[in-house]
Amino acid sequence: APIEIKFSHVVAENTPKGQMAIKFKELVAERLAGKAEVEVYPNSQLFGDGKELEAMLLGDIQFIAPSLSKFQKYTSSLQVFDLPFLFKNMEAVEKFQQSEAGQKMLMSMEDKGLIGLGYLHNGLKQLSASEPLRVPSDAAGKKFRIMTSDVLQSQFEAVEAVPLKKPFSEVFTLLQTKAIDGQENTWSNIYSKKFFEVQPYITESNHGVLDYLVVTSTEFWMDLDEDIRAELKKALDEAIAYGNEIAAKKGDEDRQAIIDSNRSEIIELTDAERQQWVDAMKPVWKQFESDIGADLIEAAVSSNN
Amino acid sequence: MLKKIIGQAEEAFISLLLVSMTLLVFVEVVARFGFNTGIHWSQELTLILAGWFVLFGASYGVKVGAHIGVDVFVKLLPKKAYRALTLLAIVLCLVYCGLFLAGSWVYVSKMYKIGIELEDIPLPRWMPMTVLLIGLVLLVIRFLQLGWKVITGEADGFHMADEAKESLELAKELQESDDAGELYSTNKGSK
Amino acid sequence: MTIAVLFTVLFGCMFIGMPIAIALGLSSITTILLFSNDSLASVALKLFEATSEHYTLLAIPFFILSSAFLSTGGVAKRLINFAVNSVGHIRGGLAMASVLACMLFAAVSGSSPATVAAIGTICIAGMVRSGYPQSFAAGVIANAGTLGILIPPSIVMLVYAAATEVSASRMFMAGFIPGLMMGLILMIAIYIVARIKGLPSQPFPGFGALARSGLIALGGLMLIIIVLGSIYGGIASPTEAAAVAAVYGYFIAVMGYRDIGPLRNVAWRNEGEAMPSAIVRNIGQMLLAFPKSAFDTEVRKVILDASKVSLMLLFIIANAMLFAHVLTTERIPHHIAEAIVSWGLPAWGFLIIMNLLLLAAGNFMEPSAILLIMAPILFPIAMQLGIDPIHLGIIMVVNMEIGMLTPPVGLNLFVTAGITGQNMIWVIKACLPWLCLLLGFLGLITYVPEISLFLPEYIDKLKGY
Ligand code: NA
Ligand code: NA
Repeated sequence: APIEIKFSHVVAENTPKGQMAIKFKELVAERLAGKAEVEVYPNSQLFGDGKELEAMLLGDIQFIAPSLSKFQKYTSSLQVFDLPFLFKNMEAVEKFQQSEAGQKMLMSMEDKGLIGLGYLHNGLKQLSASEPLRVPSDAAGKKFRIMTSDVLQSQFEAVEAVPLKKPFSEVFTLLQTKAIDGQENTWSNIYSKKFFEVQPYITESNHGVLDYLVVTSTEFWMDLDEDIRAELKKALDEAIAYGNEIAAKKGDEDRQAIIDSNRSEIIELTDAERQQWVDAMKPVWKQFESDIGADLIEAAVSSNN
Repeated sequence: MLKKIIGQAEEAFISLLLVSMTLLVFVEVVARFGFNTGIHWSQELTLILAGWFVLFGASYGVKVGAHIGVDVFVKLLPKKAYRALTLLAIVLCLVYCGLFLAGSWVYVSKMYKIGIELEDIPLPRWMPMTVLLIGLVLLVIRFLQLGWKVITGEADGFHMADEAKESLELAKELQESDDAGELYSTNKGSK
Repeated sequence: MTIAVLFTVLFGCMFIGMPIAIALGLSSITTILLFSNDSLASVALKLFEATSEHYTLLAIPFFILSSAFLSTGGVAKRLINFAVNSVGHIRGGLAMASVLACMLFAAVSGSSPATVAAIGTICIAGMVRSGYPQSFAAGVIANAGTLGILIPPSIVMLVYAAATEVSASRMFMAGFIPGLMMGLILMIAIYIVARIKGLPSQPFPGFGALARSGLIALGGLMLIIIVLGSIYGGIASPTEAAAVAAVYGYFIAVMGYRDIGPLRNVAWRNEGEAMPSAIVRNIGQMLLAFPKSAFDTEVRKVILDASKVSLMLLFIIANAMLFAHVLTTERIPHHIAEAIVSWGLPAWGFLIIMNLLLLAAGNFMEPSAILLIMAPILFPIAMQLGIDPIHLGIIMVVNMEIGMLTPPVGLNLFVTAGITGQNMIWVIKACLPWLCLLLGFLGLITYVPEISLFLPEYIDKLKGY
């Protein structure tokens, strides 16, 4: 019987991640017919955000692609991606991910039973809120929803804002009723989760990156025949490239769709304003330097050139 | 005596879990709305308490007959057949416990081996999960006790909780309370 | 084959009287063992996930706790008093007042049988004493009591929201107008019957008495404002509002009305006591009452009762999630949906089938169990046919209301039989004419989606979308 590969993720099928998973399924069906078979389970059908990593360690799913912040308890090095104002654009992110340092991080969780197979883009994060945010003091005292991540928590504390952790299922309501003032996300998430309908101001800050990591379990990956492993990796790389292309295009389209909706005003920062945010948030780097490693941060910074 | 103390401790623990869950969420609202601040570990703790509440409490539910089921059909049968089917049901319940215990053991030991921490609370992740094992073992004990009661003829079925019956108790309380009828007598009096 | 095994084991286990939770879990794990490569460990993980990763589900224990505090206190009595004073003077007024009291109680409680018990006990006896036929009184109450799950808050709606990931607060909003409408329909029907049969009315007590009874009932009515106000006013999510409601329920029952707990029979103001000294005394006593509550038998009983119901429900839900997990991995809803779609049924045809299915299930099972089993199967089909998820939810809730009144398993029937001391056949006959009304209402709700969708959409529009 062909090797059964369950690819589970927590987003819709029409997202870049969903499309990438489907592409991977098709490529495998084409090239490894009879040897391996991929089944995609979107929308947290099998396991939710909190448990898919554990389920993979138990061997019940083989591929997942959580956001990079999800790995903070497995390795501290990947937290580098959460640092604010580290990358100036997605090209720099890509360059860093493909660099030697970036590729080395893929294996940083091997002892915990996880192997990273490749980075998948979502995009750069923007700040949205119920009131306009131009300078860091505008964010002071405001409540922002964050994903569970120590770096992100410090990032908002650095501008004297209040970071709050709330399950994704409650975020929309809480934003709508202004129980929470704002949040940070990529253009495509702000659009697909309809946050722009309840957040009248979006600051185009590009202050951080929100990418995914496609991972598999060490046990599963190492048990495969070498030629199948190589073929799978090749198919996955192609699928990721395809997904990244869609992600870039969708980011632009969704940004435009949000502008066209007239529901939120997009605030572009002047250089001076932007510098204020950088100055306020950059101390976070120092705070996590010992956890992440100074050389890794250095390598990330150098990818901007 | 000891049995009574354990019973009371069990009830107190379950109530405490529910109350602390409620208060944690309540305090979080007050903190956010009243003091513009958050408690970053409160969500994770609330959810762990919820897991403990349900899994630890499931066996208590068997003890006091809180679980619901469809017993209209079995109750129509002669007593002997009713008891036999109840015993079969208990055996199947034990199968359920056995299968889940086996799975939980593998799961918890795997998490123990990997040794990662919870997201916001500096505790190993396997620790809260032990309630799977604790809860299921307690469930086994309760089912064995119930099975023994059925064999000795002390019980016929699961004593399913009956929302209807409970509501009736409430009705009785209301009827007994002194001023229940007062309302109508005053209204009539003024006619 | 997989479908057959899954459902055979499920219904077999349920038939021999196993707890529904275990029957759901056992049928799931058996199917996994037989037909899938999934490990037992992953099923255990799923069980742990189902009990400890669903924040929104916590609204259920919180609302149950809040209802428990309100049901034990004299809140019901105070609401009835207010309702009688407001509509009692119309012909058939006492019956209308009972409906109004059920509606008010429904707005603070999430359960139907509790509504029947709390209001029915006092109202049925009262109506009989005032010259109403007992069967008329019993039928009215048993029906009006079903509003407990349609008027928010509603445990059944929370369960639906959990099973389908539809927003609970939108469900609550959507239930509001149908709930009011059903109440009004009942009252109009009562008025017509009252005219024909010449049923009695009460004298109007005067506006002073009306205002006074309203003020006294305010402690209970405030809960409506707190729950809906904090959800729509931007203070809290439904889960959080439920926790606030639970804390409020404790305060109003123990500190406010003082029907239970350490302050029972302690007067707010003793005879001849000066105001300042009463204030100081009350503050002191209330502060002391907090620690005392922990050791108070009545307070502890309320919490323990709420715990029993909550953990029973959450344990079923957790196992039902395993069941839904198996349905998904085996792509069963997928297959059923494909089959039904291949019949080429239009949306209205599907809705008829769905209603019949739910009504049939309602004969034997409890609302939460029905929703947890049926929603994951019916929901994807309805989505394909373009039915609004909120509208679908309200249709299901109305079906569940009817299920409360159909034999052999009908919770409201049992409670009504209990409080009237009559047998089941008598109760069923008493409810029948009103049940027909409810069936007509189901048709209305099913084919006029605007009734359910108007309010949530209107509120969206108000906010400018
Ligand atoms: Na209600
Ligand atoms: Na029924």
